[in-house]
Amino acid sequence: MFYKTLAIIAMLAASGLSTPAQSDVPVISGGAGFIGTTQGGASFFEPVVAPVIAAPIGDHLLIEGRATFLGLISRADGTTGPYQGQFLESADYLQIDYTINSRLTIVVGRFLTPFNIYNERFTPIWIPELVNPPLIIPIGTLTTASSNGAMIRGALVGRDNYEVNYTAYYSASNLANNPNTHFGSARATGGRAGVFFPHARIEFGMSYERYLQDTPMNVFGSYLSWQPTGTALNVKGEYAHSLSGQGYWLQGAYRLLRFRGPDSAIGRLAPVARVQQFFRNQPVSGDQLPGVNTREVDFGLNYYLPHEIRLNGSYGRQFSSQSNANVWNFAVTYRFMFPMWPGGPK
Amino acid sequence: MRTWLCRIVFFCSLLACTYLVAQSAQSPQAQPSDKSSRTAKAGLATEGDKRFQEHCGRCHHLPEDLSPREARAVVRQMRVRAMLSAEDEKLILEYIAP
Repeated sequence: MFYKTLAIIAMLAASGLSTPAQSDVPVISGGAGFIGTTQGGASFFEPVVAPVIAAPIGDHLLIEGRATFLGLISRADGTTGPYQGQFLESADYLQIDYTINSRLTIVVGRFLTPFNIYNERFTPIWIPELVNPPLIIPIGTLTTASSNGAMIRGALVGRDNYEVNYTAYYSASNLANNPNTHFGSARATGGRAGVFFPHARIEFGMSYERYLQDTPMNVFGSYLSWQPTGTALNVKGEYAHSLSGQGYWLQGAYRLLRFRGPDSAIGRLAPVARVQQFFRNQPVSGDQLPGVNTREVDFGLNYYLPHEIRLNGSYGRQFSSQSNANVWNFAVTYRFMFPMWPGGPK
Repeated sequence: MRTWLCRIVFFCSLLACTYLVAQSAQSPQAQPSDKSSRTAKAGLATEGDKRFQEHCGRCHHLPEDLSPREARAVVRQMRVRAMLSAEDEKLILEYIAP
């Protein structure tokens, strides 16, 4: 099924040959990397390749998709035993976008669940300044962080001083009959609305989801994104609440551009820190959240090398009533991009 | 067996794309020739830089070595993802792939 879908994508992209504009060439981009994590003494390593395809057809239509190919290497018994590996593959999204105007784009297919901002904006491996995702990410993105269905989105109001953007979606479930599918999703509906102030470079908004399967529940969230003008500070945060519990994360990253610009030895460095807490309300089967109240603080360093290569290292300390643990991460990521076929002006 | 068949179809399609388009003719791109045109383009690029920092720079920096051929598809994708207006798309495209 997985490769069958990839074959269909390739053939759809090939159909772009019939379009007259050479500039409509599909692009393959994405990230490749190697991630090492040690949490509470258990180490695991993940070589990852996540290709993205974007194939515009005409002025309104776009086919886009992302797959993740992941190797998971870990010890047999967690902290002891021989290392063993398994290969995982998933289709993160595969969608057809029809942009009618700035206010409305219709999306059909498999898409990233638009709850708050982390899932849509920071899951490509070459973007997040800290490799390990926040604790509360499963809130609002159950079960696979992807949805199968339809979505509308756009900038409802666009002024010089502010913009109002929105998404609304419905997703069907296909996990009951196909528990091992690469295209799993939950039955849910929801939306997100945000306000962005371009001059201040601050955005905040709210999310809502009605989870319609297993244990039906309402899920709420809010988010903040702020990049003060004239500095290289990048502040992001989210809050989310569900039947399982509630929590937040707040992160600040600062690239040292002031030291001789972005291409200097120090200017390539970006320290980052994050605090987060999760408060357990009641146990909900399969919610992928910590079982007890948990808080964590992380510190990391990113080093942006030329040719889209990035080194990342971080240390975190996790506190919970069950146990405290150190969380170490190391990652090398590479962002690639090339047209699907050669030719044309570079 | 079916999985292998699909894999073969997938890779054959990729090869077919590469071959067929390599054979296709390339359309020449118009170049700005006069000073006023260059000035206007510089103004658009400055505004495009601003829009890029406001919208795209919140998550990532400008990709290195982005060719005009690649830029159109990438910006189209980002228009949906970041909910850019048509004007944002045009200005950002002008900035990253003049």
